[in-house]
Amino acid sequence: MTRKLLGWGLFGLVVVLVLIGPELASHSPTEPVARPYSPPGTGGVFGTDRLGRDVASRMLHGGRPLLLTSLVAATAGSVLGALAGIFTALAAPRHRWVEAVVLRPLDTLAAVPPILMLLLVLTALPGRAGLVLAVALAGLPLSARVARAAAEQVAGRAHVEAAVARGEGWGWLIGREVLPLVAGTLLADLGLRFVIAFYLVAAAGFLGLSTSSADWGLLVVEALPGAALQPWALIVPVLGIAAIAVSVNLTSDAVSRRARGLVA
Amino acid sequence: MTGHPVLRRLAPRLGTSLGLLVLLSFLVYVGVEALPGDPVTSRLGPTATPERVAELRAHLGLDRPVLVRYGEWVAGLFHGDLGRSATGQPVTAMLSDRVGNSALLAGIAIGLLAPLSLGLGLWAAWRRGRGADRVISGGALLLVSVPEFVVAGALVLLFAVTLRLLPAVSLLPVGASPLSHPEVLVLPVLSLLFVGLAYATRVIRASAAATLTGGHVEFLRLSGAPGATLLRRAVLPAVLPVAVQVWLVTGVGFVGGAVLVEKVFGYPGIGELLVASVRTGDLPVVQALVLVLGAAMLAALVLADLAVVLLTPRLRTGVAR
Repeated sequence: MTRKLLGWGLFGLVVVLVLIGPELASHSPTEPVARPYSPPGTGGVFGTDRLGRDVASRMLHGGRPLLLTSLVAATAGSVLGALAGIFTALAAPRHRWVEAVVLRPLDTLAAVPPILMLLLVLTALPGRAGLVLAVALAGLPLSARVARAAAEQVAGRAHVEAAVARGEGWGWLIGREVLPLVAGTLLADLGLRFVIAFYLVAAAGFLGLSTSSADWGLLVVEALPGAALQPWALIVPVLGIAAIAVSVNLTSDAVSRRARGLVA
Repeated sequence: MTGHPVLRRLAPRLGTSLGLLVLLSFLVYVGVEALPGDPVTSRLGPTATPERVAELRAHLGLDRPVLVRYGEWVAGLFHGDLGRSATGQPVTAMLSDRVGNSALLAGIAIGLLAPLSLGLGLWAAWRRGRGADRVISGGALLLVSVPEFVVAGALVLLFAVTLRLLPAVSLLPVGASPLSHPEVLVLPVLSLLFVGLAYATRVIRASAAATLTGGHVEFLRLSGAPGATLLRRAVLPAVLPVAVQVWLVTGVGFVGGAVLVEKVFGYPGIGELLVASVRTGDLPVVQALVLVLGAAMLAALVLADLAVVLLTPRLRTGVAR
């Protein structure tokens, strides 16, 4: 319980800071405000980076795209995975080909390590769209497995059979009959997907493959060579990413524990 | 199917893995080739004349159908020829030193990971709910989702900037082995180790805790068996198959982690080369690296299965439950 409170508290604080961040920033993320590697004080609260840009302002500007991209990508992967999983659970008992057509390709996808997926997709499709696609693809197979497992426990129930007998379409079956009963599990799964999405989006920023000018991952990689001169430029983004990663993980750990309890 | 039970279980696994590898190679080659990015335009820049582009395409053999080139590429793989980079160098030569460097990094990290995670996981499970367990489990939960490059950044701040004990970058003279400068390995290994250790310890602790609450362990304990006997007779046999699986899965995770860690420290491994090649759009190098990494990963997964079969008597002997 304390873990969950701690997770939510820390997460809420960081999210609020990140979302209103650009409004709080005193400078543009790209404009030089003082000499390169100025210490805190002369060049803003956390000093300046190698090009003399204000570290605090860059942090405040860089959080929003990082968080929103992770959220969009995690949600996209989860929604597609849930659709595939629930569809398989409903259709597989009647049509044997469904499993081969829907789940086998997803298993193949799951065998590619997420970072490799990221690099491959971004080679082909650089930019924000590629990033969202790569992260969604990395999460989709696992979401589909979870959704299928959850939906299978519901698929045989009388109200679902009755709806099938009435001849309801897929939209009704998935949306009205099954989804409400598995929503808790899917939300808990979304939490886990977000942890991985955040990891990947931050990593893309770090590898210089993101389009944002002040991604926190980018702040880390830019601060590394000058870490001895201006450690704050490294400390601040490292703490920022760690704070989000840890708080999301604490929260989703607590939520998925509860969901597992419900399913079992 | 007949034959030794171990073979019988592994043969389909091996078959699937080979199939996956072929599929991966096809997707990587044909998929990446079909994409808009083009090594020729990225090499010549936007000002290149169409004639110059066509000339270079013909020179690199890019004007022929993709399936023909895929066939040649696969044929080349069988005698260790991975094609030519967009810069004209043979890919095999670009990779040879780096593969060894990366394997060294991952090997040391796994070598340290296995005993540490087993010790910490068992200890936490043995003292579950008490102080040591809270510290170990809590620490693992905190670390498990933090990207490797963030851990690496923190280690640089601590060991290179504050304590000035170790170099912040792992630059090596060209062609030198990291083994001749062991200090460049310390921070990269630690960065990989921390994140992997968190995950492995969590799983091993959970498995050991489940075994310790089981009836047969309770029986042994009540009949007065000392802790060491309990560990050897009941806990280890149940935990080891899980542990081996987790170590190899973590090893696979090192594939992705190493990409980030090598980039942090400028360590001359394949991860660093992969990132550089993705950024310059050097497709032949990306294709080769993804294939090498994919093969290493599938090999690790097959090894994990083999280890689990050998460590589980019921699977090893083929006697049904």
